[in-house]
Amino acid sequence: MAEQARATGALKAFIHRETERILGACTRCGKCVEACPMARYSAPLAGAEPQAVATGILSLLKGEPGTLQALGWAAVCIRSGSCVPACPENVNPMMMVRIARMVASGGLGGPQQIAGRVDRDFFERVRGFAKLQLTEEEIRNWM
Amino acid sequence: MGERITFWYGCNVLRHGDIIHSCVDILRRLGFDVQPAGGPDYCCGSSKDANQTAADGMAHRTVTKFNHLQRERVVAWCPSCHSHMTDFMGQAYPADFALDYFVDLLYEHRDALAALLTHPVPLRVLLHKHVGFNDKVKVNAKAPALLRLIPGIEVVEDDYAAPGYMCAQLASVPAAMADMVRNTLRLADAHRADAVVTLFHQCYRELCGLEAAGATQVFNYVQLLARSMGLAYPDEYKEWKKSGPHAAATIGDARLAQVGVQFFERAMLPELVKRPPGLDAKSNQPSTGETK
Repeated sequence: MAEQARATGALKAFIHRETERILGACTRCGKCVEACPMARYSAPLAGAEPQAVATGILSLLKGEPGTLQALGWAAVCIRSGSCVPACPENVNPMMMVRIARMVASGGLGGPQQIAGRVDRDFFERVRGFAKLQLTEEEIRNWM
Repeated sequence: MGERITFWYGCNVLRHGDIIHSCVDILRRLGFDVQPAGGPDYCCGSSKDANQTAADGMAHRTVTKFNHLQRERVVAWCPSCHSHMTDFMGQAYPADFALDYFVDLLYEHRDALAALLTHPVPLRVLLHKHVGFNDKVKVNAKAPALLRLIPGIEVVEDDYAAPGYMCAQLASVPAAMADMVRNTLRLADAHRADAVVTLFHQCYRELCGLEAAGATQVFNYVQLLARSMGLAYPDEYKEWKKSGPHAAATIGDARLAQVGVQFFERAMLPELVKRPPGLDAKSNQPSTGETK
């Protein structure tokens, strides 16, 4: 029988610590926004000041409503990581935007501000493909 | 007995049984004592950005299960799983194992791997790369080195790397996905490549539709390593993509009954008939959309 996935709060506690670290380290210089290869695919970011976008991301991390630009950036972040070496303060902007996306998706308890992809069949679909290609013994011993 | 490792293949690669079986065989032929582990009960939770309570539970369960296996190394196949373990799960829950990545392990044992690659694979290939994940594992450098161990293969040099770290995320931004497809096809043509080769299963899932559409051959690098080793697992997912709306007939009634016809048609068939964006509907060549 499958073990239950039991949350203890340790993951949220880590995310909270990371949020505090990022809020203390980011100087809002906007270099991370300038380095992002996905910013061009976000309409709200067209012509936006990189510093303002970064400031909006920090607002999200503080639990404040996100600006259109910040929400637009969080929505198109696909973890290229180009922002990480661009940051002069070693903030890890990829982590910063990832947490902002969790906040904006409502994943940490606040209101949902960007559309989340809901795929209710995700796990059953994976199990379906497994049934087509793995033996019963493999499913029993590997999954 | 070889080193006891856990091969953490992940969730979505279960679409590609040939890749999982080939990886396990490769690891065993390299002398490892392999315990494969994956699927929903070993999910990393990285897809649960919108529900961190669920992600927390998944992280707790998966790290605990790996700890109970008491194997020194967990070797990840999926870059999402590897990244999430590094960045989140392992930060929240103490892990009693080292985390490694499949490409790193093969590269570490490339001399032994080369001795197993005896069958020529005469292909000139373009490697499909992404910008991301290389801060954790130098896949864009190491994967071509592994491919070049295969007799007969030629990997063309090209600097293009798509945004993101694999195509699953890119697919959520359709304009970016279409640009990547157009760029990839144009480069394959410019380099006179016989095939596009992906690193990750998610990219393979998206791009093997290009072969189904008749635009170019597409492989995952493990499939080429397996071919050179003489392993012969059929690539059923690609066959189903090629069958498109007739995939059910290709799968067959008996196997389809295992998942249920209604579920298959509602939840599995749509991705098998999906065409990659960025393709002209008539010519199957890159569409004329503007590449940014």
